[in-house]
Amino acid sequence: MNFHRLLHTTAIRLALHYALYYALLITLGLGVLYLATSRYVDAQMAAGLEQELTRLAQIDRQYGHDRLVAVIAVEQQTASGDNRRYYLLQSSGGQRQAGNLIDWPPGFVADNHVRNVWIEDDLIPEQLPDKDGFWPMIGTRLDDGSRLLVAQSVRQAEDLQEFILGTMAIILAVSIGLALTMGWLLGRTLLQRIDAINTTTQQVTAGELSTRIPLSGQDDEFDELASHLNTMLARIEKLLTGMRQVTDNVAHDLRRPLARVRNRIEVTLMEKRDSKEYRSALEETLEDTNELMQTFSALLEIAQAEAGSFRGEWKVVELSAMLEELGGLYLDEAEVRHKRFELQIEPNLKITGNRHLLAQAISNLLDNALKYTPDDSTIRLQAAMQADRLSLTVSDNGPGIAVDQRDKVFERFVRLEPDRSTAGNGLGLSLVKAVADLHKAELRLEDNQPGLRVVLLFNP
Amino acid sequence: MRILLIEDDRNAANYLVKGLIESGHVVDYAADGEDGLHLAVTGEYDALVVDRMLPKRDGLSIIRMLRADKNKTPVLVLSALGEVDDRVEGLRAGGDDYLVKPYAFIELLARLDALVRRGGDSNSLTHLSVADLELDLLKHKVMRAGHMIRLQPRELRLLEYFMRHAGQVVTRTMLLEQVWDFQFDPQTSVIDTQVSRLRAKIDKGFERPLLHTIRGVGYKLDEFP
Repeated sequence: MNFHRLLHTTAIRLALHYALYYALLITLGLGVLYLATSRYVDAQMAAGLEQELTRLAQIDRQYGHDRLVAVIAVEQQTASGDNRRYYLLQSSGGQRQAGNLIDWPPGFVADNHVRNVWIEDDLIPEQLPDKDGFWPMIGTRLDDGSRLLVAQSVRQAEDLQEFILGTMAIILAVSIGLALTMGWLLGRTLLQRIDAINTTTQQVTAGELSTRIPLSGQDDEFDELASHLNTMLARIEKLLTGMRQVTDNVAHDLRRPLARVRNRIEVTLMEKRDSKEYRSALEETLEDTNELMQTFSALLEIAQAEAGSFRGEWKVVELSAMLEELGGLYLDEAEVRHKRFELQIEPNLKITGNRHLLAQAISNLLDNALKYTPDDSTIRLQAAMQADRLSLTVSDNGPGIAVDQRDKVFERFVRLEPDRSTAGNGLGLSLVKAVADLHKAELRLEDNQPGLRVVLLFNP
Repeated sequence: MRILLIEDDRNAANYLVKGLIESGHVVDYAADGEDGLHLAVTGEYDALVVDRMLPKRDGLSIIRMLRADKNKTPVLVLSALGEVDDRVEGLRAGGDDYLVKPYAFIELLARLDALVRRGGDSNSLTHLSVADLELDLLKHKVMRAGHMIRLQPRELRLLEYFMRHAGQVVTRTMLLEQVWDFQFDPQTSVIDTQVSRLRAKIDKGFERPLLHTIRGVGYKLDEFP
């Protein structure tokens, strides 16, 4: 996880955005505060200056000009620190009579109004610490024609300004720093979780289908996503394994008849033979290819029934009539094979589905019952309503299927040990299962004591 | 008979043409839908063999055009799709029969034969006979050389199909489809058993058998094997 990637994470971006917004807000807030404060300070100062001027003018009126000169001398001595006031009493001739301001600021009119006036450095006595600037001041003309001025150095206001600006800068820096740190931490945590998912998907892409995303155990949205992805991966793995198994089986099961065909052709071509021999070789080859074609169509049929969305004909099937027809075919076949066949079909049973696939599935079950039971066995085909479900049963009293084998027989090409030598492709029950699933029917293999009972339960 | 084959797979078409000619038919061949439709409209054929997937114009659309034009030439549809409803779709479009690839050539031949002869007037007949075997469809009576033969209803239907297609090779799948209306692939010899039972009733005890087994293909009801 490098810095560059971290910078591009959503978390960092969000954090930076928030930091900017906060900074903007804080600047705005402090700006307003600053403006309000400085106005207040200005007003305070102006009021102070007016009051002082009024007081001094009154002293002049009541106690005379000399007293005023004395008071100003005292005031300028006691004024100190940040609240330094400056005074200037000038005679009508422009002579300085009292005060610590060196000269009357040019352009300043003594009209009893507070004004901000630029004070140059050379108007301020050198021993005083104040610097040039716009100072608020007020002036008046006394009765004898002399002019009086009271001003206030702005150091206090500037300090306040600096303090507020400094605070603003610090708050800005701290909030951006905090936002960045939060974003960084958040981004790192998120990246770690995402990286776990990425690593797993890359492994799966590379072929390690059994890899799963580790869960943090926090049960948060990432764990939820991860567990959904894991479920998906499990499903994909299962499907792929199934497909691989089918492909393997197809290859294996088709190799034998193909090898047989090929060997026969090779051997037949090795020597010159008479047409009768050629003919019989070709006839045998034809039979083998028929068997191959049958296997293919069975596979195709299962695939169709298993396909997620069935596109075939789907309508109400007169099940009773169909079973009677099918039963008729198998009744004679059972007799030829020295087996009993019993047909117990309730009249007028109907189900919605595909007639062709249902017939194929039931015929597969009957074929199995005929093939895998000894002589004199009894085979039963029954159909009846049971509660609200339609039950279709094919049962026999043959060897049956052991409990632990019952799931296995639905897999494609699976043939149980003693039957391997008989004809068959091991696809019959796979199709029955696929057709049952397609019709949302429950399929059960049960012990008929003795024998096998296959039950299909269709919902109404 | 004159057959028009419309099929774009040249390899398959070559074998089909060869096989059909060797079976005594006259064959015209088109490799795409447009040529095929042109030939079908301008020529006189006893039957059409049409592949569903064709360049330029698909097989079902050819059949629809012909049927819209009141052309009733029997059509056998070939398909590699093989889904159940493809068959229904093919027949609905006006096809007379449907065969899914891979199919046995002999099956195609037998079905073509059945299609063309079906066009005759045997459908309206109520009395059928082959050699000394007679079937009265109104009275459900079967006579062989003057002897009455008792048949079950299903056996009667089977015999009727054989007699309507007397002299033609009939495959097991055709019987299962036409007589029982099933389209599945039995793993046991249910059809053979049915035919054997019928044979036992109509041929047993008579000097000359009428119901013949054609090896690897099916059966044929005929005076001569």
